[in-house]
Amino acid sequence: MALASPQIKAVCVEANEFPQLSNQFRVRGVPHTVINRRASFVGALPEHDFVNAVLEGAGVAVDEPHEAVSGPTSDISA
Amino acid sequence: MAVIPESVRQQLKDHFETALSGPVRLTVYTRPGSSRLILPAGLGCPTCEDARQMAELLRDAAPEKITLEVVDVSRDAARVEIDQVTEVPTIAVASDSDAGRIRFQGLPTGTEFPALIDAVERASRVEHGLSEESVAALAKLTEPTEVMVFATPT
Repeated sequence: MALASPQIKAVCVEANEFPQLSNQFRVRGVPHTVINRRASFVGALPEHDFVNAVLEGAGVAVDEPHEAVSGPTSDISA
Repeated sequence: MAVIPESVRQQLKDHFETALSGPVRLTVYTRPGSSRLILPAGLGCPTCEDARQMAELLRDAAPEKITLEVVDVSRDAARVEIDQVTEVPTIAVASDSDAGRIRFQGLPTGTEFPALIDAVERASRVEHGLSEESVAALAKLTEPTEVMVFATPT
């Protein structure tokens, strides 16, 4: 995705190595995806749904909002 | 990090021979010291040395295509600010013309190592692999967007 859009920065985080970060974003299972540190979803999604989830998490209107996306996450203090 | 067997190095070299086309820039952001020591720059980094060796393994498999830069975040605050690096170790993967917007935070072992190799190959070929529909949808993004994926090595 980062190769398809110059706006995207893709970060793969090793969850066990950064427990503070994992706790901050309430990571309970993997893969756990967090968009702009405010919206998140758990699990692997098909490409179409993943793209829509990223757009929705970034605040871009999408035709089919994905039910798996939750946020803004309440416990993010940063 | 355990010594990488020569057979694995050769396997990676053979693979990159055909899988890479354009140049790839790797940047490893590290901090000196282990987790046992508290240094003037703060707590040391227990996996930074392994991450550096892993990046060197990739570079050495295709030195004519892959360049590697090691940035010590405790010595280069300006660079940290510009590249917006928040944690170490971080390995950033970039095609020649692009900033390092594909990042691996923490040591990418286990199932994450093939993902790192895949990122290097895709950056080299500038090949995202997404459908035209997805690319058109992502073009709606007008602001910088961070997509963090938490994963575990197993």
